[in-house]
Amino acid sequence: MNKESIQLHVNGVRHEIEIPPSKTLLEALREDLRLTGTKCGCDDSSCGCCTVLVDGVPMLSCVMLAASYPDASITTIEGVAQGEQLDPLQEGFCVEGGAQCGFCTPGIILTAKALLDRNPKPTREEIAQAISGNLCRCTGYTQIYASIEYAIKKLRTTPVAAASGGR
Amino acid sequence: MSMPSFALVRPRAVDEALEHLARHGAEAMLVAGGTDVVPNLRAGLFSPRVVVDLKGLGDLSGITFDRERGLEIGALATLTAVAESQLVRQHYPVLAQAAGTVASPVLRNMGTLGGNLCLETRCRWYNQSYFWRQSCGFCLKKDGTVCHVAPGGKRCWAVWSGDTAGALLALDAEIEIAGPAGRRRLSLTDFYKNDGVDRIHLGRGEILTRILVPATMAGYRGTYHKLRIRNSIDYPLAGVALVVKVEDGVCRDARLGLVAVNPAPVLVREVESLLVGQRFTPELTEAVVQAVVRTGKPLTTSMSTPEYRREMLRVFSRRALRELWRENGSH
Amino acid sequence: MAQFSVVGQRLPMVDAREKVTGAGVYTDDLVLPGMLVGRILHSPHPHARIHSIDATKAAALPGIVAVITGKDFPNRYGILPIGHDETALAVEKARYVGDNVAAVAAVSDQAAVQALDLIEVDYELLPAFFDPNETMKAESNWIHDDKPHNIEKEYHHHFGNVEEGFAQADAIREDHFFCPGVTHVAMEPHSTLAHVEDNGRLIVWSSTQVPYYLQRTLSNVLGLPMDRVRVIKPLVGGGFGGKSEVIPLEVIAACLARAAGRPVKITYTRDEVFYAHRGRPVQVIDLKMGVRRDGKITAVEARIVQDGGAYCGYGPVTLLYSGALLGAMYDIRNMKFDGYRVLTNRPACGAMRGHGTVNTRFAFESQLDMLAHAVGIDPVEIREVNLLKPPCITVNQLRVTSYGYPECLRQVKAKSGWKEKKGKLPFGKGVGVAGSHYVSGAANAIVRSGTPHTTIDIKANPDGTVTIFTGASEIGQGSDTMQVQLVAEELCLHPRRVKLVAADTDRTPVDLGSYSSRVTFMAGNACLQAARNLKSTIFSVVARRWNVSPDQLEMRDERVVLCDDSGWSMSFEEAAKCAIDHLGEVVATGSYSPPQEAQGGKFRGAGVGPSPAYSYSAQVAEVTVDTETGQVTVDRITVAHDCGRALNLMAVEGQVQGSVWMGLGQAVQEEMIWSQGLLMNPSMLEYKSASTLESPEIDTIIVESVDPEGPLGAKEAGEGSLAAIIPAVANAIYDAVGVRLTSTPFTPEKILKALREQQKKVAQRNGGSER
Ligand SMILES: Cc1cc2nc3c(=O)[nH]c(=O)nc-3n(C[C@H](O)[C@H](O)[C@H](O)COP(=O)(O)OP(=O)(O)OC[C@H]3O[C@@H](n4cnc5c(N)ncnc54)[C@H](O)[C@@H]3O)c2cc1C
Ligand code: FES
Ligand code: FES
Repeated sequence: MNKESIQLHVNGVRHEIEIPPSKTLLEALREDLRLTGTKCGCDDSSCGCCTVLVDGVPMLSCVMLAASYPDASITTIEGVAQGEQLDPLQEGFCVEGGAQCGFCTPGIILTAKALLDRNPKPTREEIAQAISGNLCRCTGYTQIYASIEYAIKKLRTTPVAAASGGR
Repeated sequence: MSMPSFALVRPRAVDEALEHLARHGAEAMLVAGGTDVVPNLRAGLFSPRVVVDLKGLGDLSGITFDRERGLEIGALATLTAVAESQLVRQHYPVLAQAAGTVASPVLRNMGTLGGNLCLETRCRWYNQSYFWRQSCGFCLKKDGTVCHVAPGGKRCWAVWSGDTAGALLALDAEIEIAGPAGRRRLSLTDFYKNDGVDRIHLGRGEILTRILVPATMAGYRGTYHKLRIRNSIDYPLAGVALVVKVEDGVCRDARLGLVAVNPAPVLVREVESLLVGQRFTPELTEAVVQAVVRTGKPLTTSMSTPEYRREMLRVFSRRALRELWRENGSH
Repeated sequence: MAQFSVVGQRLPMVDAREKVTGAGVYTDDLVLPGMLVGRILHSPHPHARIHSIDATKAAALPGIVAVITGKDFPNRYGILPIGHDETALAVEKARYVGDNVAAVAAVSDQAAVQALDLIEVDYELLPAFFDPNETMKAESNWIHDDKPHNIEKEYHHHFGNVEEGFAQADAIREDHFFCPGVTHVAMEPHSTLAHVEDNGRLIVWSSTQVPYYLQRTLSNVLGLPMDRVRVIKPLVGGGFGGKSEVIPLEVIAACLARAAGRPVKITYTRDEVFYAHRGRPVQVIDLKMGVRRDGKITAVEARIVQDGGAYCGYGPVTLLYSGALLGAMYDIRNMKFDGYRVLTNRPACGAMRGHGTVNTRFAFESQLDMLAHAVGIDPVEIREVNLLKPPCITVNQLRVTSYGYPECLRQVKAKSGWKEKKGKLPFGKGVGVAGSHYVSGAANAIVRSGTPHTTIDIKANPDGTVTIFTGASEIGQGSDTMQVQLVAEELCLHPRRVKLVAADTDRTPVDLGSYSSRVTFMAGNACLQAARNLKSTIFSVVARRWNVSPDQLEMRDERVVLCDDSGWSMSFEEAAKCAIDHLGEVVATGSYSPPQEAQGGKFRGAGVGPSPAYSYSAQVAEVTVDTETGQVTVDRITVAHDCGRALNLMAVEGQVQGSVWMGLGQAVQEEMIWSQGLLMNPSMLEYKSASTLESPEIDTIIVESVDPEGPLGAKEAGEGSLAAIIPAVANAIYDAVGVRLTSTPFTPEKILKALREQQKKVAQRNGGSER
């Protein structure tokens, strides 16, 4: 297996890893960087569990070749909280029950994060559209909406929370 | 499940990409967003030695509009960019609409318009894992000799399952192709071969660089109707794209494109001659519907039956006509 | 609910934080030094004799550490004592496409995949069976030699006298229903990591709902005493029953680890998950029901043929549930059930959310709707006419102690606007009602023994915290949180003080697992008992210190309080320390076994169905049918679920909504599609689990009937609401456009076809004039 040295910029940290160019970003994150918060639900770009942010845009790491993204800034679920301080979205998923088994949760939080970064006051309809590529098998989605709406409210009532998290 | 191994090259310019293609010939494969290529590689449907990643061709992702020259979209523009572009939405709404129905939001952030126009054809006997295909003795399109859809025949009926091609055919789009001999332009209608295996007129050493929509089509009303089971993620099972220009209740121009029913996206040419100069009548609608179902020939390539897909072609064409004519009539 | 402080609240799950930060560890996230990748060779044939397997080339490939075949581990197993018909790898025959034939452990996934390609298997193809009715006619080439005519099991139950019952009926219907298979599609694909320690002990981490059964099975297959096998359940990314029996990869990983002498991890690819299946079976249901003019049901008769796939699995239990719960939520005196669990050359079915009850409930509640229309009674009312009057024992000897169903019906009727809508919405729109119910755990264990179904230990720590040691398996349903809440409630502690060690067979006592919605009822009761015992141990020490009687002591707000006017009290921390100083260690045990009275009848098959308590659900679905496309859109769902008592309102609502949503998937878009032995849609792209865009809001009402034996009155919440949505939607479609669908899913194509047939009939009747 021919390996190449490639760069990845994940959660603000630069990494250099030796991997075959056929390796997906999902595999590189999980196996080489040991960032296992990004999940593999289908390995076939249909479920959304492997969603990461690439320069702030949600994408599916199971169909991305890691070697194709040396210049991108990648955010995984491990990079969402500020230290101990959960992001309002993470807090919302705790408080409103959006995470049952938790397997879809990282992908949905990241997709929602990208949505709120662009549109801080989405309607439920807009939320549904935005996360429609992320399947959840546990919740029926209702509590996921509530979790995201918790964050929306929190971000609105405490504007600084956007920058600093806040509990 | 890991993929077969290959080398990855990331050219920064079209010429550089062309050089790679020239050097590696049949062993090279282009990848843009990768949303079609990567799952296919994993299923063992292709085994290139070299994958040429086009994402570095930054100058191919722009979207511009000019009243004279019309719309120009770089092949690397993402479907999200196309669907959300103010220019596209304003002047060619049917394209924005069609692009906005592709797959899911996350996939549209990755998938490109060029990739969407060069998509591999799809079939329930083909888009399966290696193990699965082995269990059914493979198929004509890959590794086998029999087409399970039409076992008697010698043709592959894998279906064109891209959404935007219907809209772009209706909009009379052209494409620009770069190759060893320079750049050429081609009407999109001439790009497709209606063959499940060899789907497009794109030479081994060529790259689709730009999509061009004539200025004359700007402002046409348009609509795209898509059949699918899930309202997100799913490929089309049938799709009807219609654009019309109506003045004072009289049709001045009309074009209708179909996807996901034949091995190629198709323009139903009769629609133009049927409608131009006419006023809306139920009889006329039925004539269009007849033309559509004469052209769209779904087979058992997907989870939905051909009968139902054909029926939806009827319903969608009727609805599309009603919708556009009524909207225009009120102006 | 002022009487409780922790119970009843919307408390975040105790493991929520690790799930939202990505820190939580699921099996596939684990890595051990020297760990190998395991991969399985599957049979491409639905039914084939295996003459020989030559793995020499594969074994010689660089990077391959071990190759195993069925001959290496021939001990048979199966979740039911009556169904030990599986081996981890096929021994003489492969019985479905995807059956497990050989396995390799390699240093890399690539090497493993390459090696599989080099294993040569000499197959002799055998005739295969795919049709549940046809398979019973087979005279030879039976799937298992000891199951003549491919009948795994059949049951015939007759309670009361159906002939007499039908004779009293004013309206009788006989209908044929068909439900294709559906499957769990838990988001986390199954994964197992196995490691044999230097001392020969096997440790297995697995995505399982049943660590204890896994431990038993591994001990049996590997010939190790139980104490030489340790099973640990990390976080599990959803189960829904798909991880509630031993899945081949669990045994294969263990066998490979032993053969390789190194840790081996196998994680199924998504298509392997589909081949592993163990989901809801294909069922063919012939149902006959009679009612009097006043709506009273006089008799019910069902013939159910269940296509169970190639191995026994939970199959007979599934079938028995279909029969036992058929009529048990209503007062029905005459009931007959003939059930056949047959074998076909497809992946084995098993337990899936609503286990066994779902398809029959669809048939029953649909037919009840038809009969309501036949005798001119409102569909809600016909259900009210047939209510049980608990406490009571049903005709098939199920004991009903609490029964919130009437209240559920009343509430959904009011909240959904039933009166204003039923029969009154414009053509194309309609409402439908239906009910369902489910067990709160099986009263009889799978392996009958005197052992309690759950045992819990609670240990007091000197820092004033307590630790629960529980075998119960959290799979996303919130059972860890439930146990913490109950213990905190009983001990008057803040939940923060309650820690939990769960599902590790070395460290935690036996719990039978997370299936049949048993954990809240059983582990919950055991927790309460253990907490009470802990309290009394601590009280006895404190009482001695204060020289008072222990029954004068009480816990209040994290303090031990003397109940007189002395004002004496002591913090829990101090009390715990005091008790530990005195006793060395303070551990209390609680356990739960269902009472004798709940264990049901004595007839053959009576063991399945009895439960200490049943949950109930009523639902109203509101739909729009597009008569040109046949597309049904479910606009709104109102559900009321009787969970006894909501220990955590948020968790209960989440469970109810998840159940309804999953049922809705089966109702409108989920189905396993087959071409002979080939599953045509083994992917998340083609198996249509609903996205947000097909998922309506679910208006959720919780009804609390407070069960006399449930932990603080609680019953199950995670399954009982799944079934009702399917008939509710079918009934709503009927209300909307007058067509009746008797097979799931209600695809646009089926609806359109039914509409066309109806139009044809109307046209014939009216001589051509129709809308
Ligand atoms: C779950 C799922 C659902 C999907 N649903 C839909 C759907 O509903 N509708 C739909 O239309 N598509 C769908 N797709 C397919 C795909 O996402 C889109 O068609 C997308 O636009 C493809 O673009 P891409 O850039 O990712 O293509 P790639 O995968 O990069 O390439 C696709 C093909 O085009 C070739 N190619 C790409 N760019 C060029 C170029 N510039 N010049 C020459 N050849 C090129 C590649 O070699 C390859 O053969 C779906 C995919 C998935 C995984
Ligand atoms: S794992 Fe990438 S979409 Fe499912
Ligand atoms: S919480 Fe389990 S899949 Fe979404």
